[in-house]
Parts: sequence; structure tokens; C-alpha cells
Amino acid sequence: MTFPTTPQAASAESGPAIVTRKLHPLVDLQCDRTWFEELQNRLSRGGPWDDWTLYQLAMEAEQAKRIESFDQLLSLRSLPSFEPMPHQISTARKVVHEMGGRAILADEVGLGKTIEAGLVLKEYIVRGLAKRVLILVPASLVLQWVRELNQKFGIPAVAQKKEHTWGYDVVVASMDTAKRDPHREIVLGTDYDLIIIDEAHKLKNKKTTNYQFANLLRKKYCLLLTATPIQNDLDELFNLITLLKPGQLGGQSEFAANFVVDKRLPKNEDQLQEALSTIMIRNRRGDGGIHFTKRFVKNIPLELSEDEKALYDAVTGFVKERYEESGGDLTSMLSLVTLQREVCSSRDAVFLTLVNLFKKTAEDSPMRPKIWELVEKIRNIKANTKAEKAMELVKEMNDKVIIFTEYRATQEYLLQFFRAQNMIAVPYRGGMNRGKKDWMMDLFRGRAQVLIATEAGGEGINLQFCHHMINFDLPWNPMRVEQRIGRVHRLGQTEDVKIYNLCTLGTIEEYIVNLLHEKINLFELVIGELDHILERFEKGDGSLEQKLAKVLLEAGNDTDLKQQLNQLGSSLSRIRDEVKTGKNPYATSPELLVKLDSLGQTVEVRP
Amino acid sequence: MNEKQVHKFVNRYLEATECSILEKSPAHFTVKLSPFADRELTNRPYYWSFVDRVGAEPETMTYLLVTDKQKYDAEEESKAKAKASDQPDASATSQDAAANAALGRSLGFIHGSLAAPARVPREDLYFGARKLDQLFDAAKSKGSYVYLFQEPDKRSSNPFSSTPYTAWLGVNMRVEFACDRKREEIHCFGVSLATGLCVEQFHDRLLSHKLTPRLPANIHITKNGLSFNKALGIVEQALERKLRGYDYSWAADASARLEEELVRIGSYYEPLIKNAIAETRQAIEEQFTQRQAEIRWQYEPRVTASAINCGIFHLEGID
Repeated sequence: MTFPTTPQAASAESGPAIVTRKLHPLVDLQCDRTWFEELQNRLSRGGPWDDWTLYQLAMEAEQAKRIESFDQLLSLRSLPSFEPMPHQISTARKVVHEMGGRAILADEVGLGKTIEAGLVLKEYIVRGLAKRVLILVPASLVLQWVRELNQKFGIPAVAQKKEHTWGYDVVVASMDTAKRDPHREIVLGTDYDLIIIDEAHKLKNKKTTNYQFANLLRKKYCLLLTATPIQNDLDELFNLITLLKPGQLGGQSEFAANFVVDKRLPKNEDQLQEALSTIMIRNRRGDGGIHFTKRFVKNIPLELSEDEKALYDAVTGFVKERYEESGGDLTSMLSLVTLQREVCSSRDAVFLTLVNLFKKTAEDSPMRPKIWELVEKIRNIKANTKAEKAMELVKEMNDKVIIFTEYRATQEYLLQFFRAQNMIAVPYRGGMNRGKKDWMMDLFRGRAQVLIATEAGGEGINLQFCHHMINFDLPWNPMRVEQRIGRVHRLGQTEDVKIYNLCTLGTIEEYIVNLLHEKINLFELVIGELDHILERFEKGDGSLEQKLAKVLLEAGNDTDLKQQLNQLGSSLSRIRDEVKTGKNPYATSPELLVKLDSLGQTVEVRP
Repeated sequence: MNEKQVHKFVNRYLEATECSILEKSPAHFTVKLSPFADRELTNRPYYWSFVDRVGAEPETMTYLLVTDKQKYDAEEESKAKAKASDQPDASATSQDAAANAALGRSLGFIHGSLAAPARVPREDLYFGARKLDQLFDAAKSKGSYVYLFQEPDKRSSNPFSSTPYTAWLGVNMRVEFACDRKREEIHCFGVSLATGLCVEQFHDRLLSHKLTPRLPANIHITKNGLSFNKALGIVEQALERKLRGYDYSWAADASARLEEELVRIGSYYEPLIKNAIAETRQAIEEQFTQRQAEIRWQYEPRVTASAINCGIFHLEGID
């Protein structure tokens, strides 16, 4: 807002609050006169007058806060609680000083895009260039962003909950909420100094409501965060950039003519890289791999008790029988294989499944008595070998520990079991709402020694403060195992991580542990490698899970089973070796259509 | 501001606002706020409006303000260790517990929070901390407008002669040079209301004197020779003259960037508008205008001057 007036206006009795004077052909000086009005006001009323010491302190505070130069990174001096990594600092610097505050931050996963965005945000706040800020993230990440901004950066960010929350200066919301009424109008009616959009690859399709909404937002500075800016289609890239700087790659047709051969094949890559370099930063992991803290993996072999073994054998027999009856129909049998896995976890888990199965079968089915027989066997089981071992381990560690299980029933059982032994344990599962998840995390961070989780996905849980992990049972999908490990063993973990796999001998679990541990060497892989191994292994013909089930059902006897599993195992190790020896140059990052190596630095990550 | 400067700042604020410091070390204060400071710092508008309406005796908050976290935590830890090592023999504590239990039996259940001392929240004050920013703001909100007199030199005081004083308009200005980036300067001007003389670094001059809100004895103030409005004009002109001599290559750069961006946006939208069908044309045009406005907002170079604080100062002598 400016009210252009001549200097003579200064002598007018009630001059305007802001007076403009010409300093330079390009620049005006705007003098704010509100202070003078207030001073005259107080003079005419004879006060009230402020304290001289406070007057001096106010001046000292301003002197301390003064922004001395255009190009320092001032945010660094007000972040005592943590130290950003060099590549994060240089990224923030580049965004603020070279890119004018509009950029795509496209670092590979795990290099701290959130930190970089936080630094840029803090810098603009400290410099007084940003006040109204909107951060759009997936719903599951809202609270994590709020916490990081508050704790790490001292930025009073607020999670959007009610309509009135939009009144706060720094609001974190999910895109889905923001684009809906009644929020939509409020958000679109605000001029935001800075907008940050996390997981921005979700905006790649310009026909989606999300994209159209993002395109309507009014902003000064803008950061888009994504690890995969161009995955399927070059148009995705064009769309993202149009949000930030329309025309940076020319119009749609020029872009197609200059840079695209086929929608998945770029041309003039050097020029494209150059055009991108003013708007995108992508730091990559170093080739030396990630220098996390060490992982120690220990398999704990357990002998099932007699009753447990009897149940396992009975269930195995039952499953086989059904499979033969069905005449080799795999799809319907997968759920039955689950029974076998559940026995290895807890009797509670298998009981629940059996009861459900019982309800589903017709009343006169010959299956019913057979199922009932199994239930009878469950009754005989008095103790859980694994739970006892887990308890023993937890007591030995005498430290925070997270226990993962696949089954809700097992989780309930363990909670009860630990409580009975006076060990404080809290649950965590996918179905909990955001608030409850957060609460559980806080309890675990605080006074509970044990967290029992059924879900490892859902980005919300970062457990760097804990470095013990027990796999009470193992998922057959290796990605899920990796997710579990990733919760604990990640950037920021300062201790070596100890992983215990509970493994019952003489059951399928033994094979699974062997397969994951020995053959894929899952527990020692670098993030991203597993993706590639599985991708190759599963080419076309079903997931590892399905293949396992098939082998299990079809094998005639134990030796047969062993042989087949060995085959599976050796093909996995072969693929692993191929990936490891670098036949796939992108082994550590998701494959992108355009090589973006020149848009950032290579980072050797050390905790 | 380093830890020492923060500590000194906090100390002066607490003293100036008459807070009672219960305990202090070079790394911390435990302080019961004065009502004045409580209103400024505790974010309790409802509580204070209640107190004001009812006229109740206010209960102000007590804070632990840590100005040097590392030092404070280290000291606390060593204290805790010392305590643990010379832990009195178990009999004493068990005696205590027994006594408490006995008391509990005879007095009935006492809720923990009633018996425990009031909660003392801890705030770590470091440069950039929100509480310290609040302290800065508090200082500013109650340190903006002053009306002061220089205390006369005791030695030369002669009860029969009167010392001449001059009234000055003093103002501390923050000047912001901004485009998509920003830097700031602080300029302190003083204008003699008697003669119109304008000096820079006036704030430093004030700091060399002792100032008081009370009118000292045996002084007389020279008649003002110019109006406040005139003085304001002098300040602004002085500032303008000073700023004219600056290097504005940053503004030229920003304007060039702005121009470049506008051309780029135009190259994207103009063909789009030309080829658009009638129904969508208006929406695209609106977006074009919007994008142009955003770019101007982002890059347009500007210089703004606003006051940090100001006042009328009566100083010895005729200038």
C-alpha cells in the first residue's frame, strides 16, 4: 500500500500515515509516520510515557535482530537445538539467494527435504519477508511437520483443525482439507508469503482437482518437495514447474518440441538440465552408500512347546488337506496359509481366524468338526514360548524397545502379557487416529519401555530414540520388514541398532527367516536396493509372498519343501548380487526419466 | 546475542519491570513476575480480564528462565549427582515415608497437586527462542514513547542559577531495503526543537547521559523555535539525503529479474490466451494478472523507513 504524496505534504496538519519520496529512478522511500502521530497524541494528552530502560532494551533488541546483509543465512544463528547438514544449508542458501524463493526440492529420500524447507521458512521469517505461511502435506504428516517446525525451528506452526485455525500465521494442513469447503474459499482468498507443498509429485497431473487448486493459490515464495519429480512422464515435470514458474520450459508445445522425443524419452538433456538448474535442487546419496550406524541382527531360535508343536502340525495338516481338496486353486488358499503363520505368532491370532472360518463354513460341512478339533488343541496351550522369550529379552536390554507383530490378536495378547508382569507397554496400530497415534508415541518416548506395533508403514512414526527392535513374527513381504527397520534405523539414530528375530524351529518361520536373512541379506541392504531386487524377482509372475505360499502348499514333504525353497533362495541371492555389483546404476534411488545429477551435490550421509 | 548478552538483557528487563528474582546464577533466573510483566509475557488475557473485572488480587506466574542451557543443565546434573552420592541412609527416607503415610491416615487423602509447590515452567532463552522474542516485543511495546530530562550534574549545582535545557525530538529509525531479499539499517536522529539542528547517532548521545522522567530543579527549557511537524520534515529529509548516496545496484538487479520474469510469464500466458476458447479465456486472463501481481510482490525493490521508538528529550545546553 502506498499513498504517493509530495514532500510538502509533510507540513500538512493531518498528513497521511505513509509518505513516499523518490530515492532513485527505480526505488521509492516510504516513510511510515504512525509513530509521529502517536507521539503527538501522547504529547497533547500529557502521556502516558514509557520507561527509559525498556526504551533502551527495545533498541538493543532491534539492533540484535537487524538484518545486516542481503546474503547471510541468518536462521542458523537462532537454531541452537540442532545443526543442519552442509548440503541442507547450501540448499537453503541457494533457494533464498539464487532462486528467489521458488524452487522444487527434489533430494533423494532421507536427505532431509523437510529440514531444507524449514531452513528456508525460518530464514524468511527471521528476515521479516514471510509472515503468512501455508504448508500442505499428506494428512498423515501434518502433526509431524508441526512438531518438527516447533521443536527444531522454533516456528509456531499450527495444525489446521477448525475453520478459525486459518487465522494463524503458519498453518499446516492436508491438501484434501484445504481444497474442500468451507476452507477452500479462505485459503484461496489469502495472499500467502510462502507456500510449501510436501509430496508434490501428487500434483503431477494437471487435470486433478489437487493440481487445479494448487494453481489457484496466491503466493510470493513457493517450495515443492518431492523425491520423484519425473517418474512416469515428462509432462509431470512440466506441470510441476508451471506451478512455480510458468514459462520456464516454454509453453506446452515448445516444451514438447524442445525437450521431448517420446513422453518417456527426453532430448536436449543438457539444455533441459540448464533450464532446470534455476528451479530445482536434487542432492543424491553418495556412492559409498549410507553411513548409518551399525545394525546387529540376531536370530533367536526357539523350540515350540509340545502343545504348540502339536497345534502347528495339526494346522499344517489341515491346510494341506484343504489344498488338495480344492484341486490346486491357489487364490483361495492364501488365507489358509495365514493360519500356519499365525500359529507361529500366538494362539490368540490363530484362534480368531479359526473362529471366523468356522462361522463362514456351512453348518453341515465336514469342515466344522475339523476346525473344532483345532480349537480344542488351542485350549491345551497354556504358555507362549515366544512371549516369554520376548519378555526375557526386554528385561535384559533394560532400554526402550519396539516389538513388531503382524497380528492384532497377538498385539492384544502381548499387551496383556506384559501388563501382567508389570512391564509398561503401549500399542500402536494403523487404525488409530492421528491424535491417538501421537499420544502413544509420546507415552513411549516418556515412560513406557515397550511399544507393540502392528503397523510399520504410515510415515508418522520416527523412533530414532529407540534402538532395539524385536520382530515377534516376520511378514512375508520383505518391503514390510524394511519399513519396520526404517522406523528405527534412520537418519538421526545415534546408536547401533539391534534387531532380534524370534524364529520358531521346524516351522515355516524358520525358512522365512533364512530366506530374508541369508538369501536376500535384507537386514544389511541399503535403502532402495530391496526395491530393485524385488522388482526383478517378481517380474510378471507374482509376489514373493505368493510364490512362497505356492511352494508351501505344493511341496509333498519336508525335503521337497526345502529343495524348492532353496531354489527360490538362490535365485534371490543371484539377483541381489547383480544389483549389488552395480549392474543397475540407479540402485540407490528411484529411477527418473531425466538424469538430474548436476542439480545438487552428492552427500555422504553420516549420522 | 550470545548467552551473556541474553542474560544481561533479561536481567535488565526483570529489574525494570519490578519482578522479584527468587534465585539467580549466571545461567538462569527463577523469577516471580510482576503483574506488569505477567500481562506482557504469559499469554493469559482471559485471566487478566477476570482479575480486572472482579478486582481480585492477581496471582502472577513464576518462571525458570534459563539463559545458558548447557551450563545450567551441567550444573543441575552435577548437583543431582552430589545429592545422589550423599543420599542420606535409607532409614531417613523410609522414616519420611512412614511419617507421610501416618499423616495421610490422620488427615485423609491429600491431593498431590495441593501439597506440591506451584508449577514452575521452564523457558530456555536463547537468541531466536520464542519466549525471548516475546520479551523483545514486550520491551518494545512498553518502551516506545518517552519524555525525559537529563539529570543535572550535581557538582555544579548552584541553587541560585538556572541551567538552560533544549528539547529534542529523538527517533530511532529502521530502514529496510527489500526485494525478494532484504537487509536493514538502523538510523538514530535527533532534532533540536530550538534551532532545528539535526544530529545522527543521537541514541548513543542519549546513552552517555543520565535521564529521568522527573523535571529536575533549577533548570529552564529554551523556547521551541520550530514545530513538531517541521522537525519531522527535517528528520525525513536528512534520511532521504543520506539514502540517496547509496548504491542501488541491488535494486537494478531486482528490477531486471522482475522484468525477465514478467517476460517469461507473458511468453507462457499470451499464446494460451490467444488460443483459448471464449469460456476459459477469462479464467486464464485472471490467472495471468494474478501471476504478474505475485511476481511484482516478490521482486519489486522498495525502501521503507519506520520508527523503532521515539521521544522528547530535554538535554542540557542550547543547541
